[in-house]
Amino acid sequence: MKPTRLYLANDTSARAAGAGRLADAWKERPEVQLVRTSARGAFYLEPIVEQDSPQGRLAWINVSPDDFPRIESGLEGTLIDSIPFLRQQTRHTFANFGVTEPLALDEYQSQGGFKGLITALNLSPEAVIEEIKISRLRGRGGAAFPVWTKWQIARQTEADDKYVVANADEGDAGTYCDRMIMEGDPFRLIEGMLICARAIGATRGYIYCRHEYPAAAATMRTAIRKAMDEGLLDLNGASFEIEVIIGAGSYVCGEETALLESLEGRRGVVRAKPPYPAVAGLYGRPTIVSNVLTFATIPNILARGGAWHASMGTERSRGTIALQLGGRVKQPGLVEIPFGRTLRQVLEQFSGGMVPGSRFKAVQVGGPLGSLFPESNLDIPICYDAFAEAGAILGHGGIVVYDQDTDMVELSRHFMAFTADESCGKCTPCRVGSVRGREILERIQAGQGRAEDLELLHDLGDTMKAASLCALGGRAPYPVLTAIEHFPKEFRSKLSAFGGQQ
Amino acid sequence: MTARPKSSLEEVLESCRPVPPAKPNILQVLLAVQEAVGYVPTKHVPRIAQVLGVTDAQVAGVLSYYPDLRAESPGRCVIGVCMGESCTANHGGRVLRAIQDLLSIDVGDMTPNGRFTLDKVYCVGNCAVSPTVIVGGELYGRVTPSQILSILEPRNK
Repeated sequence: MKPTRLYLANDTSARAAGAGRLADAWKERPEVQLVRTSARGAFYLEPIVEQDSPQGRLAWINVSPDDFPRIESGLEGTLIDSIPFLRQQTRHTFANFGVTEPLALDEYQSQGGFKGLITALNLSPEAVIEEIKISRLRGRGGAAFPVWTKWQIARQTEADDKYVVANADEGDAGTYCDRMIMEGDPFRLIEGMLICARAIGATRGYIYCRHEYPAAAATMRTAIRKAMDEGLLDLNGASFEIEVIIGAGSYVCGEETALLESLEGRRGVVRAKPPYPAVAGLYGRPTIVSNVLTFATIPNILARGGAWHASMGTERSRGTIALQLGGRVKQPGLVEIPFGRTLRQVLEQFSGGMVPGSRFKAVQVGGPLGSLFPESNLDIPICYDAFAEAGAILGHGGIVVYDQDTDMVELSRHFMAFTADESCGKCTPCRVGSVRGREILERIQAGQGRAEDLELLHDLGDTMKAASLCALGGRAPYPVLTAIEHFPKEFRSKLSAFGGQQ
Repeated sequence: MTARPKSSLEEVLESCRPVPPAKPNILQVLLAVQEAVGYVPTKHVPRIAQVLGVTDAQVAGVLSYYPDLRAESPGRCVIGVCMGESCTANHGGRVLRAIQDLLSIDVGDMTPNGRFTLDKVYCVGNCAVSPTVIVGGELYGRVTPSQILSILEPRNK
């Protein structure tokens, strides 16, 4: 009898949810042929087991090893495309997720992989950059800088060597889409980097991958080797070598100039800009540093045209955004949708509401430097401009929901302590300001704070915002100040009765 | 007993010796040393600097900068409790306290018997299956305080 072909994700979070245990339990069964794919991103349903059917893939959710008989008989499966969390998404960059085996190059190609690169090779470098310009793609790592501008500058700067660096130091807590790409669709990142290399005339590529992502680094290395063996890295008559370099746990190394310092093996201290990396980056050569998701977005733009990409989203935020839901919601996972829906719509459509026993208190968007939004502020459209106007950031698309158990003073202290730990120390506002901020919040937490301390936090925040060298110091005050703004009673109630104001 | 780490240090350094025009990459060498020896003993800083052709201060500076580089030997099993926002929202703090209570150690410390070292980590990208604890390189998601004993017990040796 032919074994039953079942699909099970091999993503780190799917394994943490039980996919590994399932694979171990079933590996001795001759009647099962397990195919380990990338993850759908609907992690609240993991482990998900899928099987082919005439209507499409059938899925069984939150599976335990004992569920095998009903899966084998095809009973009680749900069509994967009928699950609202997935059906309501617009998957382009994440189209292959849950479908293909990460390291199966033929599957990547059969899904349209490397079409973007082929297009790029048939165009002049200037025409490739023009296509990116038409797409109106902005960097997905947090700074949202127009991608084509960087490429143009790097292209026009004369140098013997130029570099392409993928920033895989996905340090913002609450984000995991870069990890998913590297573990789940590694050839897409390689293809994006190759297109960039073609456009700027780069000789070498690096993937700076954080230490916390061992599976991502291993998958990328195997994928690079496979692509090289197939001759896919041949570019401009030479092999475009891509190397995976591992970081060592420093958050600020996600800032592009600190990343370059770290890549060169030194302390990951932020460099003053200008010169920008596109002019003088790695070893002083023109370098494009972009987030993994940015590179992964590029193959589709070349394959389908810049106008296709520009047709989605809002006026100044084109294309799709990868949001990553986490915290106290029922349905944490990856959501790819066009820019423009409001935060409230996203939470209503995808989060599934709060976990039992939890009530919504606040949501943080954009990682540990992102602003907090109370229930009354959720009608903000998810796009770069609306967030910038509100003094907030989309960052790398992390969305973390907090419930009524969250102590806002403690959370604020946690944020400032984080910045104090992670500050590279180069500029005074961040190095000293974060420590002073943490101390003030510790004082309030201990019941020793005075009314002036809240003023002091504002003053300190203004200084850090205005005078810090990079976004770590510049953004660190936002979560704290938005917590004070929206939950003032919590802070005031902890002030010392002596000198405190109720 | 003491000869082995030393020889592997020399082996690592030999394989990392920069060949001109390549420049020495201090961080990658220290990560390689840590991989081979388990940590980067401070006493080896001058030797590493000598092989790389850089100053002691440059090596010591890199060693002290990065949280994941260790200058002291950790316990046989390293526990990392994630303190990222999603894990924090999902009561990762309670999990941390359960581990501290069980092992009677603070964050950054090693148990007196050398079996466990307790560390905080800051986001491992497992936010959708949080809270997260990493034990001896193995990642656990949706961890509750009541699971801690059964996770740590098999490694208490």
